[in-house]
This record gives sequence, C-alpha cells and structure tokens, in this order.
Amino acid sequence: MVNIDLWAKDGYLSTPNGNSIYFWGFAKGENLPAQLPGPHIIVKHGETVTVNLTNTLPEPVSISFPGQAEVTVNGSPVEPQYVNGRLLSFVNYATPNGGTVSYTFTASYPGTYIYESGTNPHKQVAMGLYGGLVIRPTDYEVSKTAYGAGTDTEFDREYLLIVGEIDPDLHQAVEEGKPYLVSKYLPRYWTMNGRCAPDTMFKDGVEYLPHQPYDSMIMAEPGEKVLLRYIGAGIDIHPLHPHGNHTRVIAMDGRLLRNNTFDRSFQRFTVAVKPGQTYDQIFQWTGLGYTPDNPIPTILPNLRNMGIGAAGWTMWSGSPYLGVKGDIPVGVVSFNETGEYYFMLHSHSEYQITNWGEFPGGMMTMISIFPSLPEDVGVLK
Amino acid sequence: MAVVRKRYGATDGWINMPDGTKHYIFGFCDITGVPENEIFEYRGKATLLAPLLEAYEGDEVYLTLTNLGFPERPDLDDTHTIHWHGFPNQIPLWDGVPEASISVPVARDFEYYYKPLDPGTYMYHCHFEPVEHIQMGMIGPLIVRPLIEKDPDYSGRKFAYNNISTEYDREVLIFLTELDARVHDLIVNVQGFDWTEYSPQYYLLNGRSYPDTVKSADNPNLPFQPFSSLITAYRGERVLLRFVNLGFQDHNIQILGINLKVVGRDAKELQGFHGEDISYLTNTVFIAPGQTIDAIFTASSPGKYPLYNRSHHKNTINGTTFGGMVTEINIL
Repeated sequence: MVNIDLWAKDGYLSTPNGNSIYFWGFAKGENLPAQLPGPHIIVKHGETVTVNLTNTLPEPVSISFPGQAEVTVNGSPVEPQYVNGRLLSFVNYATPNGGTVSYTFTASYPGTYIYESGTNPHKQVAMGLYGGLVIRPTDYEVSKTAYGAGTDTEFDREYLLIVGEIDPDLHQAVEEGKPYLVSKYLPRYWTMNGRCAPDTMFKDGVEYLPHQPYDSMIMAEPGEKVLLRYIGAGIDIHPLHPHGNHTRVIAMDGRLLRNNTFDRSFQRFTVAVKPGQTYDQIFQWTGLGYTPDNPIPTILPNLRNMGIGAAGWTMWSGSPYLGVKGDIPVGVVSFNETGEYYFMLHSHSEYQITNWGEFPGGMMTMISIFPSLPEDVGVLK
Repeated sequence: MAVVRKRYGATDGWINMPDGTKHYIFGFCDITGVPENEIFEYRGKATLLAPLLEAYEGDEVYLTLTNLGFPERPDLDDTHTIHWHGFPNQIPLWDGVPEASISVPVARDFEYYYKPLDPGTYMYHCHFEPVEHIQMGMIGPLIVRPLIEKDPDYSGRKFAYNNISTEYDREVLIFLTELDARVHDLIVNVQGFDWTEYSPQYYLLNGRSYPDTVKSADNPNLPFQPFSSLITAYRGERVLLRFVNLGFQDHNIQILGINLKVVGRDAKELQGFHGEDISYLTNTVFIAPGQTIDAIFTASSPGKYPLYNRSHHKNTINGTTFGGMVTEINIL
C-alpha cells in the first residue's frame, strides 16, 4: 500500500530568455510549489497505490492514469463526469478551491507511464498538469532491470525525460481569465522535464528554478547501460535524437516489446516521441578506444585557428581523449570538469531547439560520459 | 579496407523551384582533388543535396571540411561543421557539435575521421546553429555499404545489410526536406527569422519539387540540384529505397500499387535482441525528422506507380499547383 499526496496549484515557470510563464502543476505538499512536471511517482509492481489529490485551483481537476486498469474512487471504478449532459472530465474530479479526490489502483505491470489531468485536458494538460509514473518490477533490487529478470533490460543508471510544448498565449489567457482558441495553439517553447535549454543541463533542484526541479543532464561512464524513459506530454510528435549512439527501444507505453521469447525491441538513432506515449530505451556509449597511448589518426589543429565557444562558452575539454583536459583558447569559458565528453540529445524538428525562435534552447540537453562517476548519479527518485 | 579521402567546401548558392522562383541556400560542394589555388572558384556553388558520401564498412574515411565563406553574405562569418548523424560511439572531436568541440571558421580546414562499422543509410549536416544551417541546405546523404559485397561468394551482387535477404538490383535515394521561402529571403537580405513561425511552402524530394523530381540528374536547368528521384527498373528487379528525413516535419510517404518490405531503420537491420526478424510489409512509411528507412520492393508488372506524401497538402508547389513530394516509379 502506497499513499501519494498531490496538490493542484499554480505558479510561474522561468525560461532562459527571461520570460516568466503562469502555469498549473502538481505539488508534493500543501506548502510546496507547483512543479513541472509533477512529482515522479515511483512504485513497485503489485503494490496498491492511492493518489490523494487536493485541488486548490478555481476549476475542477482530476488525474487520469493512462495504462492503468481498474482505477477506483471510493471503491467504484472511475467514470466520465458530465455537467448538463456535456463532458467535463474523463474521470472523477476534485471540486475547485479545496476539493479532494482519491484514486486507487494496483500497479499491475512494470514500465513508464504518464499521469495527467483528465478534466478539460486540452487546457489543463497544456497548462502543466502532468507527471511521470514508474512501476518497477518486483525483483528490482535483485535484477536491477526495467522489466524483471530474464527480459534483457538490465541497466546501470536511469533518467526520465518528459517532453512538452508551451504556448505562452494560452497561459496568459488562463492567468487573466480570458478565452483562448486551442485551435490556434502555437508553441514558442519546447521543454524537457519542464525546462528549456540550457536550463535543462542545470542540476536538480537549483533554487532559481523553484517550479522546475528536475534536470535532464544524462551522465554515465563508458560501457554503462543507461535506461532512458521518454514520456510525450505535449500534443505534437518530438523526434528525439541522441548523439553518441543508437538507443534500443525495449518497451513502449509500459509494455515490453517481447512476445514470449520472441524479442521485438529495435534500435533507432531517432525516436519519434508521440503524444501521451512512453518509450523505454537502453543507451550505451562504448567509445572508439582512443587514448594518449593509442592516438587519433588525425592532427589536432592549432585551436586558436578554430571555432571554439562561439557563444563565449564551450563544454569541450580541448582534448580528443576522455579524462584529459587540453588548452582552451584564452577568453573562452569551458564548463568541462574532468575531460568528460558531451553528446547532444535534442529534438530533430530543429525549430524546437529554440526559445521563442532563438537558438540554442528548447528541447535539448547533453549526454555526458565521465571516466568515473559515483554510484548515486542517475538514480531516479 | 580502403582509405576514402574527401574534401568538402562549405559555401552558399541558389536553387530553382518549378514555379520559376529562386532560393538562396547554404550548402556543401565537393572539392576533392581541386588544386589549392582553384578552390576559390567553388564559392557560391553549393548544391542541394550536398554530395553523396559513401564508404564500405571498415573503410577509413578522412573528410576535410573547408569553409569557403558566403559570397552572397560576406558579412556573415559563420563557422561550420560536419555531423555524421547516427555514427555510433563517436568522440566529440569528430561529432561536429560546436558547443561540444570544434567548428571551422572562414578560410580554415578541419579533418574529420570515421571508420564506419555498421552498414546502412545515414545523413550528414552542419551542426552550427543547426535550425538555420539545416533549413538553409547544409545537408547530405550518407551510405555505408556492407562487407558481404566483398565476399567472393557474392561477387557483383548488392546488399543493404550483411544479410542475403537484403539483396537488391537498384537503389534510389528519397531524401525529404521542406523549404520555407520566407527564411531564405530574409537571410539573403540580412534579416532574422522567428523559427517558431516555421511554415514551409515547398516540399522537396532530393532537393527538388515535382515535376523536377522526375527530371534527370544532369538537367541543365537544375545545375545545383544534382539528384533525380525518378525510379526506373525492369520487371522482377529488386529496388532498394533509401528514405531520409532531414526536414523539420514528419512525413508519411505512400506508394500506389506496390508494397514495400522495410528491412532497416536508422542504419540498423530490423532485428530483435536475439536477431529476431522484425522486418515488415507496408505501402506507407512514416518517417520523423532525423530518421532513415531502408525498404525493398520487387517490381512485378510493368507500369507507372506514383510515390507521394499522403499528407496531400505537401504535394503542392507553394500551396497551389500539384507538385512537391511526388515522383514516379517506372517499371519496364
């Protein structure tokens, strides 16, 4: 039996270009900030999960759990809610300004899922009322897998990336109580875990992003198996492309791509993340084996003749070799710590890697490969 | 294993659409073997698509990028890179991401090195301000051929992957992009563009809009768009279509009258974790930006078969005339 308390609240998001955007989100506590995405819910296969929602917003709010069967409220199955014969909500809701509702379900299959508002979702999900749900296999502590022993889903570190879009006109209209035409939806920001690049690469819980607590920096050692859980929380398709290697897609929508012993997993260098869907993947960067003792077959040019840090900063070490720092030209700030490698992970609908049209930004982060990392890096909490 | 040495220039140029409009592009051109005192003559001669880069599995590819500058925009001293999209286990030095390694300023060279180990269809593009440089045309196709073709037992035969079920007789590239003319007009006039307003009017196969797509590769009216999309084969031949999407939109490409067998995606044969065969039959391929698809069909009866975008508004020239992402398959 797991009890999760969520509050539906409002707040303001920060964007890297200095904008402040009103939003609705789920919070972990009555006195804690609304957040985008909502708090991760992490439970175990077979557990009975109760999610208690308190709604502080001025209209009804609910939570739907796509992929979960037999969700109940007060012992009865959730059901669509109508007002004067018109659909208001896919599931039972909490009434405005302090109402509550409790949803109960059994986590019946491991995997990655979304939870989101089922009430006026065309408005409320776009406003930010969504989050990620992870169900671990019963043998997780022993097998360290996404889907249980024998499913070839072992991993060393794991990261959850929830992607979405923001049309600031919608948010402003909701804040000011004005009408908004969803048919005119035109995103100006694209988010990973609620942030736009380069904020995606700042650490978890930085104090200047109180409503956007989750970072998107992927960190691993060479050869490690990295479990990437993608969730599409917006209404558009986002083709996410990691540099450095393909991913093997092992599951979609919380269902292992395997029929008995017949494995249907597949490798991609770009995964089209579709609305409301989830993708579990294993990424591994193994490298080409170059070291100072096994040098690269090309000559590193004089770096003062090359373009390095056009924006005044770089994430490069100045060396071709992992764990080695070279000389970065004077005047360029390097954010490289120990000679780690950085590989971009971004939407290949390239206008989505801008902040209101300005590159760089949007749905972009980095995968960083470090010579060594502490064990507590890349643990989903 | 062979050594492949190439030198590409980065510069600008102009392309033609069937409605008589011309559009300013950035792009690459092949200057391999051109004497140093003559490379200047290639300024302004970028092509759409950029030259096909091909190699065999295990080859060593040395690719030098020379930034020739933009004669039409001498004020714009952007650097450039080459990103081999999908190359596994790359190191940042040769990955072409300016924020994570090196880019190439005007009048400088940089040498990239690749030893491809996985056959299939890839793409390459500049990764400097990629939203601008990709839309402007710094994009090209990339094919890695499988070692099985060098096995004496299969001499003279062609395969998509190291698997005899992927044998083919002819191959055709279907490289999908869009062109928003407002971007190209603004950039040649030294103006910026709000990329969130991206809304293309031209939809291109191999850098051309139908009916230019079915014209020959060396058509004199399309000097800087050297890729035809006309598919011609004899009855009974196996034809490999190599789909690439390097636009910013999803595309759903359909063929009327012919079924495809999809054998590879993103330069990986369609196989499960233990080598399970997960290839499939279809007449429509959904392809997102940054993906590639290898599909084979056998032409069973003579005739003309259209290939088009099932999102029919993309089969137009500037929203008016029938055109855009359309080509023909002629079975003789």
